[in-house]
Amino acid sequence: MRHYETTFILRPNLGEDQFTEIIERTCGIITGDGGVIIDTDRWGIKRLAYEIKKEVQGYYVCLNYAAPGTTILELERIFRIDDRLLRFLTIKLADSIDADGISREKEGFAAKAEAETEQVEGEATGDKVEAAEKTAEPAPEAAQEDTASKEKPSEETPADE
Amino acid sequence: MFYRRRVCRFCTDKELVIDYKNPKTLRNFVTERGKIIPKRIYGTCASHQRQVTEAIKRARHLALLPYTGPTQF
Repeated sequence: MRHYETTFILRPNLGEDQFTEIIERTCGIITGDGGVIIDTDRWGIKRLAYEIKKEVQGYYVCLNYAAPGTTILELERIFRIDDRLLRFLTIKLADSIDADGISREKEGFAAKAEAETEQVEGEATGDKVEAAEKTAEPAPEAAQEDTASKEKPSEETPADE
Repeated sequence: MFYRRRVCRFCTDKELVIDYKNPKTLRNFVTERGKIIPKRIYGTCASHQRQVTEAIKRARHLALLPYTGPTQF
């Protein structure tokens, strides 16, 4: 079993149903060959840096999985046939991965997802707290900065020369 | 005398990861025209420059970064 990562771009005008169908079919190929899906990440519709097959936008999907090498051949053969796919890129992350590694990777992705949701929630409340702190004590900070800026240049100039 | 501090950005900042899926950081290492900036300009160390180059080329393939020029339609 090897550790792979595949990112592919779908045509944006397919609709949610077909996106899901293609992703499930891809996952089916991997699991059918004895592979394990570690993470599926849908980035959603993004603007492309250049036109591909006359499309300006694309729906990005990123799969992280463990599978034997022969799966990739089959997967890419099917990707090439399907013209709903604009691009795909498969990258080998590790030559071998065992059951322990898979579960560890899964935990890593779960933790990352949690941290992201927390960040989104935290930003909403955190900004208010920071703003309150700033308004509370503007005077002492400003005074400290003044003295610091006066001292620094005299020290740095000889060092540069 | 004017010295440019040439310390590898990725060696000093361990938080900064090179990833082809993150075009925002990679943007700093290409010109407006989309060319990869040589390491003699930024002083990126050889191993990190190699990783950056690889990541940029992957990102280009996935249309996250342009091959040439700014995006214009």
